Amino acid sequence: MEQSVPELMARLDSLESSLSMATTINSEVFYWWCTALMLAIHAGFLAYEMGASRAKNALASGMKNLIAFAFLIPAFYYIGWWIYLAFPTGFSISDGSEAGLPWSEYMGPNLTDNASGIFYAAFTLFAATTASIMSGSVIERIRISGFTILALFLGAVVWVFGASWGWHPDGWLTTEWGLHDVGAAGAVHTVAGFFTLGVLINLGPRIGRFNADGTVNNINGHNMPMSLIGLMLIVMGFFGFLGGCIIYTGDTWMTIYNTPATLSAFAFNTLMGVAGGMIGAYLVTRDPFWMMSGALIGVISSAPALDLYYPGLAFLISFGGGCVMPKLNDILVGKFKIDDAVGAVAVHGFGGVWGLVMAGIFASGYPNVAGPEISFVGQLSSAVVFMVLGFAPGYVLSYILKVVGLLRVTEAAEVAGLDKAEVPASAYPESSVPAAFTNDPTSPTPAE
Amino acid sequence: MNTAPLTSWEGAEAYFTFADKPALLVLFTLVGIGVCVYTIASMAIHENKSYKDM
Repeated sequence: MEQSVPELMARLDSLESSLSMATTINSEVFYWWCTALMLAIHAGFLAYEMGASRAKNALASGMKNLIAFAFLIPAFYYIGWWIYLAFPTGFSISDGSEAGLPWSEYMGPNLTDNASGIFYAAFTLFAATTASIMSGSVIERIRISGFTILALFLGAVVWVFGASWGWHPDGWLTTEWGLHDVGAAGAVHTVAGFFTLGVLINLGPRIGRFNADGTVNNINGHNMPMSLIGLMLIVMGFFGFLGGCIIYTGDTWMTIYNTPATLSAFAFNTLMGVAGGMIGAYLVTRDPFWMMSGALIGVISSAPALDLYYPGLAFLISFGGGCVMPKLNDILVGKFKIDDAVGAVAVHGFGGVWGLVMAGIFASGYPNVAGPEISFVGQLSSAVVFMVLGFAPGYVLSYILKVVGLLRVTEAAEVAGLDKAEVPASAYPESSVPAAFTNDPTSPTPAE
Repeated sequence: MNTAPLTSWEGAEAYFTFADKPALLVLFTLVGIGVCVYTIASMAIHENKSYKDM
C-alpha cells in the first residue's frame, strides 16, 4: 500500500521519538543499576571495618559507616552536586551551576529532565565511597561525632572540588594539563587517602599500637573472614562505580572527558587490574587481608586509563601497585608511626598516585577532546594537586576538632571499648568474648 | 493543602510538590540542614555524657 510523503514523515518522526525515548530510558536504567551495585561497596566497607575491629569496637565501627552513608546523601543533595557543577575552572562559579542548587527545578521530579536525578544518585554513591575510605583507618578511637563532621566535609565538599577540577569534561586539570583519570583514581582515592593521612596525624595511634621503644604491635581485628567478604563486596561494587564512570549516549559510550570508549574496555582492564593487584599483594605479604586490599589497589592502579590500556599492561601495572602499596604501608606504620588500621592511605592515597603516574607513562600521547594530550608531567602535576587538596583540609579540620575535643574518645572509653561507651546494643550478646580476641593490651588473656 | 504546581499534565515540566514556590523549597533545605546539624550536635552530647558516666 502506498503511503504519502507526509504520512511517511510523520511515521519517521514517531520512530525517531521512540528511539530517543528508548535511549533516555536505557541511560536511566543503566545508571540506576550502577547506583544499586555501588551499595555493595558500602555493605563491603561495613563488614570489612567491623571485622577489622576488635570485638569491643565492632558495632561502633559499623555505626560510623552507617552514619556516613546516611548523612552523605542529603549533604550531597544540599551542596555537593552544586559544587561539582560550579567549580570546573577552579574557584570561580561557572554559568549553569544553579541547576544543582537544591531548590532548582532540576533537583526533583521533572518530566523534561531524565538525567539530573540519576547522575545525582551515582555521584552521591561516589561521595559516600570517598568518605568510607577514611572510615576504616580511624577505627577504635575516633569519636562518631567528629568522624561524621570529617566525613561530611570530605564527601560533600573536598573530593567534589577534585572531581570538578579533574573528573569533569571542563575540569581545568584536563583542559590545562591534559589529565586523564576516567576511573577517578585521583579525585576519589588520592583525595580521600591523603585527607585520611591528615586526620591520622592529629588523631594519633590506638592505645597499645606502639611500644615505648617504637616497635609496632599488631592489633588484629576480631573477624578476618568478615573483613575478607567485605573486601570482596567492595570489589563487586566497583563494577557499579566504574560503570558509573562511563557516559552512555545511546549510540556510543564516552568517557567523562568526552573521548570515545567502550564498556568492554572497562571490563577487560578492571578484571585484569583486580587480578594483578591481588597477585602482587599476595607475593609480598602472603596475607589474605592484604591480598583482598590488593584487589582494590589493582582497580585503582588501572583506573585512570581503563579505557586505553592493553589488558596485559593493566595487569602488570596493577601487579606493581599490589607489590608496592603494602610496603608503603609498612613504612607509614613502622617509620612514621601512622596507625592506619586498614592501610587506606597506602591503598587509596598512594594507590591513586601510582595509577595517575602510570597513566602518564603508559598512556602518554593519547589526545584529549579538550586540552593537551595525556603526558607524564600533566598526570604527575595533577596527582600533586589531588594530594594537597586532600591532605590540607583533612589536617586542618581534624586539628580544629582535636582542639575542641571532638576528635578522639577518652582513654577510658577506648580501653573499655567504644561499643560499651557509645552504642546501646551488643554485637555478640550471647557469647563471652575472650580477652585474647579483643586484643586489649590492658586485659589479661585467659592463659594469664 | 494543595501542593501541586500544576493543574494539568499538558506541557508539565518540574512537577514535584511546591515546585512553583521556591521560597518554600529554600525553607525545606534550611530545615533539612538544621536537622542534620542538630543530630550531629546531639551525637556529640550523647558521647560526652557516655564518657562521663564511664
